[in-house]
Amino acid sequence: MGSWSASSVLFTIVVVAAFGFFSYNVQRLVGELQLGRHDDSRWNDLPRRFWNFLQIGIFQKKIFRDGVAGPMHAAIFWGFCVLTLGTIEMILGGIAPGFSFAPYVPAPVYAFYEMNQNLWGALVLAAVSFALFRRITKRVKRLQGKETHADDPLLILSWIGALMITMFASHATTGIVHDLFWWSHALLVLGFLNYLPYSKHLHVVVSLPNVFLSNTSGPGVIGAMRPMDLESDIAVFGAKDVTDLSWKSLLDGFACTECGRCTSVCPANLTGKLLNPRKIVINVRERLEAEAKGDHSKTLLDDFITEEELWSCTTCRACVQECPVSIDQLSVILELRRNLVLGESRFPEEVMPAFESMEQRGSPWAFDPGDRGKWAAGLDIPTMAEMAGRNQRPEVLYWVGCMGSFDDRAKKTTVAFAKILKAANVNFAILGQEEKCNGDAARRMGNEYLYQMLAKENIETLERYGVKTVVTACPHCFHQIGNEYPQFGGNYDVVHHSTYIESLMAAGRVPLRDDLHEPVRTFTYHDSCYLGRYNDVYSAPRETLKRALPMLNLVEMPRSKDRGLCCGAGGGRMFMEEKVGKRINAERAEEALATGADAIAVACPFCMTMMADSVKSRDSHVDVYDVAEVVAGRLA
Amino acid sequence: MKIAVLIKRVPDMDVRFKIAPSGTAVDESGLKFDISDFDGYAVEAALQLKEKQADPAASEVVVISLGPDVVQETLRKAMSMGADRAVQLKHDAPLHDSYAIATALAAELKGGAYDLVMFGRMSIDTANQSTGTIVAELLGLPIVTAISQLTVNGGQVTARRELEGAYELIACPLPAVVSIDEGIARPRYPSLKGIMAAKKKPLETKPAQVGEERYKLDKMELPPERAAGRIIGEGKDAVPELVRLLKEEAKVL
Amino acid sequence: MANTNVFAFAESRGGELRRAGLEAVTAARQVADSTGGQVHAMLVRRPEAGGAAAGNSVAALKAHGADVVLLLEHEGFTNYNPEAIAATVAARLTSGAYRAAIFVASAQGRDLAPRVAAKCQWPIASDVTEFAVGADSVKVKHPGYTGKVIQSFTLSAATAIVSLRPGAVLPKKPDAGGAEAGGVVEAISPAIDPASVRVVVTSTAQSEGAKLDLGEAPVIISGGRGLKEAANFKLVEDLAAAFGNAAVGATRAVTDEGWRPHSDQIGQTGRLVSPQLYIACGISGAIQHLAGMRTSKTIVAINRDKEAPIFKVADYGIVGDVLEILPVLTAAVKEAKKGA
Repeated sequence: MGSWSASSVLFTIVVVAAFGFFSYNVQRLVGELQLGRHDDSRWNDLPRRFWNFLQIGIFQKKIFRDGVAGPMHAAIFWGFCVLTLGTIEMILGGIAPGFSFAPYVPAPVYAFYEMNQNLWGALVLAAVSFALFRRITKRVKRLQGKETHADDPLLILSWIGALMITMFASHATTGIVHDLFWWSHALLVLGFLNYLPYSKHLHVVVSLPNVFLSNTSGPGVIGAMRPMDLESDIAVFGAKDVTDLSWKSLLDGFACTECGRCTSVCPANLTGKLLNPRKIVINVRERLEAEAKGDHSKTLLDDFITEEELWSCTTCRACVQECPVSIDQLSVILELRRNLVLGESRFPEEVMPAFESMEQRGSPWAFDPGDRGKWAAGLDIPTMAEMAGRNQRPEVLYWVGCMGSFDDRAKKTTVAFAKILKAANVNFAILGQEEKCNGDAARRMGNEYLYQMLAKENIETLERYGVKTVVTACPHCFHQIGNEYPQFGGNYDVVHHSTYIESLMAAGRVPLRDDLHEPVRTFTYHDSCYLGRYNDVYSAPRETLKRALPMLNLVEMPRSKDRGLCCGAGGGRMFMEEKVGKRINAERAEEALATGADAIAVACPFCMTMMADSVKSRDSHVDVYDVAEVVAGRLA
Repeated sequence: MKIAVLIKRVPDMDVRFKIAPSGTAVDESGLKFDISDFDGYAVEAALQLKEKQADPAASEVVVISLGPDVVQETLRKAMSMGADRAVQLKHDAPLHDSYAIATALAAELKGGAYDLVMFGRMSIDTANQSTGTIVAELLGLPIVTAISQLTVNGGQVTARRELEGAYELIACPLPAVVSIDEGIARPRYPSLKGIMAAKKKPLETKPAQVGEERYKLDKMELPPERAAGRIIGEGKDAVPELVRLLKEEAKVL
Repeated sequence: MANTNVFAFAESRGGELRRAGLEAVTAARQVADSTGGQVHAMLVRRPEAGGAAAGNSVAALKAHGADVVLLLEHEGFTNYNPEAIAATVAARLTSGAYRAAIFVASAQGRDLAPRVAAKCQWPIASDVTEFAVGADSVKVKHPGYTGKVIQSFTLSAATAIVSLRPGAVLPKKPDAGGAEAGGVVEAISPAIDPASVRVVVTSTAQSEGAKLDLGEAPVIISGGRGLKEAANFKLVEDLAAAFGNAAVGATRAVTDEGWRPHSDQIGQTGRLVSPQLYIACGISGAIQHLAGMRTSKTIVAINRDKEAPIFKVADYGIVGDVLEILPVLTAAVKEAKKGA
């Protein structure tokens, strides 16, 4: 009895000390988060947050995207959830000898509980053993990287293994041996708890809150950039250091366990560029820890993350899409770009003409704005101004975009789509000369000032004509006008042409030729990032193709839909040189050609340029079509 | 070092111009305006000179523009690039006589104690390339025109001017006037920080003391439409015809 | 009596008369024929020891219509000496009975003419493509707005300076045998000491031949993917060499492939150029490329695909294999240059 009470007193002291130290660390970490920028966009839409928490957090939706690591991690995670109950029982039992949940619940429930403790304990042990085996014997590519803390996982996995072994051993033994295992287990548990704040495995406690607080899967508009208040938000433009980042970006640093899924799907990284999204997140945490210790000698920008890394990003959002704990790597990259451009005017020199032209001529290319509507010559397509002059208002505004207006290849898509609209008797008009660049490239390149100028001018034009519905063949226009213009009071129903054509076809409004002997064609469809990952439009372009070509054999590339590889033109990359590594469009074109398809379909003028260029340089005779061209080619 | 840069506000040239009903001006509706190209190089070159000084803060870059109040926008742009202050010589009517313009500019520059007065080689709208030289003469200062390289060292300017298939190296003592050709420096893109700072920099407006105009604009017209491109032939047999056209029609051979 | 004589500045470099000088004299002759005055052409150079070239220059000026060749010789004229020449010309103009002074807006003429105008306080018309001298005014046409607007001006003064755009008046010997026989040479001396000027041209040197900068070259020969491989750029370089004043450019596709350095790239992400003549060889004309060269004065396109967008911006197009056409064109240009 005496030894028991001495033991429980001792244990109580240990528990209090352990939780005391842990709570000290929690406070320290919260203090570190408070160094970040105020961000109150993290508590809205609680149902959505709970849904994300359940889906992505509890049910491990994204973890399962990896068929090997997925079940392994889920076993450990769910095991931890179940075993935490056992640990609570054990700790309470250590403080108050003889404590058990048994008296408080019906016997079958307790039996079920006990069974699960053993089952999950075994599963965790198995999963951890497999993980250790995999770490040691196989060099899984995404787990490598000099920015990672490579020894930590071995320690942690062994630790978890030891936890399971001591747990089982304490259950299986009695007397002093039991006590020995019991204490070992208890100390390992409490030690584990207190080791976490000093390790990347802080992940274990931060992940679930991080998923809950994240906006990468909503709430709000997915992929929309934070609007800057250019009148007052000017102490620092964007972010130069961790203290300029949202506290949520700092929390991302704590949530990251360096699994490397982000980097493994990054088109820049895959083709040999310096950018490495995982490193960005690790850098944030490293720099934050130094800052918290009072080291102000370095900044996140330049000392940790270089310009070259930042400008390699295509903003394709694959990293964000892939992250199992909803980290937003992209927002850090984009805030740092803002600082480079707005604060210091530092950007690749070849971008200058694009900026200047957007400002002067409302298009990134130095074309005469007066020529914007030239493609429509002879097609009998009215402008909004002409319709307004006749006191008419069209059903939809066809927003053509700069590529669609000025690029010879994209103009074919423009004309094709216009023909479809006409064939379907859609009452539509264009803005002609009054349309300006949507500003997406400027915003993604960090030039918020130029972006807002363009966005506001465009909104003013749209408001003047009382526009309600906009259709566009450019995913960047689509994303901007639909998802980001609301930040400035522009609220429109924006539809991408693939979706619009599909709905017209579904309604039987598009008259197609009855070709009974249409040859079988094999197509592969390349997903646009701003259509897919930013807007979840995956099936419309595919369905459109199938409806247009009854004998279509649609083959998918290995990386498709939300795993689709970027063409390389997003995030302003269209206007930058690609000097390092393999060209992204080459990587993608090779993947498309490897499907054996005789045509590649796209639904974005930027993708069109990138894919067509690369296919052409391979002397391949595979055609690249926009989905609208495919449909227009079949019009009756 | 005290540097003055004379800048002009001109329309963006990448458009098809229309002639205003007056027949003596371009229709300005829908046009975007900016610093004339060569003047932009001059601003950049001036800023770089200032930055190269041992104590840049002791140097001053003053931008001066003649014209109606809209030129203030152009002056602000130069200040957003880094110029320290600006002077608008207010004159609302368009001017074409270089001598008349130079008279007004010289009146402002005189007594300004500038070490260096910088012009763009020419404005890209009226394209006369003579105002800077006349200003230098009126001020009694030496001028080096159309330079593509510039160094200032110990009260001495050394510069390079491109000729047809050749170049000259030129030396000249300060104070001096120089006019800037392309190739010297690409104008920096103003940061938002610069734009915000420019709003607070001093901009002084004075009436322009314009000289007599002896060079008057009678009319403006558009050149004949460029003939639509044509395919003159196929294969190497088309070469003689191409050479003939280059020689006789395009006059570039 | 009204001023009737016309002054022409006969530009030379290194003692040799330049084509610009002949253009100025030819134009002055036309004016003098209408005013009924004489043409006085000024030639500036170092004293030559009776070299053949010296005599040739004077003879050429006479042959093109100079009644008087004003020969300004001094040791201080090894290089261009803007202040001494301007002072001498101004002194001559203000003392003589000149109606107008004609310059050609070459690099040197663009520097000199305004200096003279400033010193004489005469009005000046620059970069003129057409002009007519009347009794008390001169009417000129002068392209502005990067050539997109033609401006017509009147200089109201009894005396004026006209600086002609190079090539606006082509050198021509007068039909009536000119003043060759009657032309005289008048030696004049500098109005100020050429050695005590403030602006000193310390040296004049030939540009680095083939390495003409893309931004400055009047002619650009540019190659695209149609050239098939890096080695075939030799054909483009050969054509550039045949022109003598041409630079070599490339498309983004070509610089991406590493066939040419990135600094040669013409287009949105490379150099933005507008030369007098742009020859696009094996270039299809992607928006990225067109954005960089569309404003060139004359565009020639050689491409196999007659649907290529480059033909939409080209003044002259040849459909065919660029590898086959380039050598023929190079030979033809060499031939044409020989005759010029």
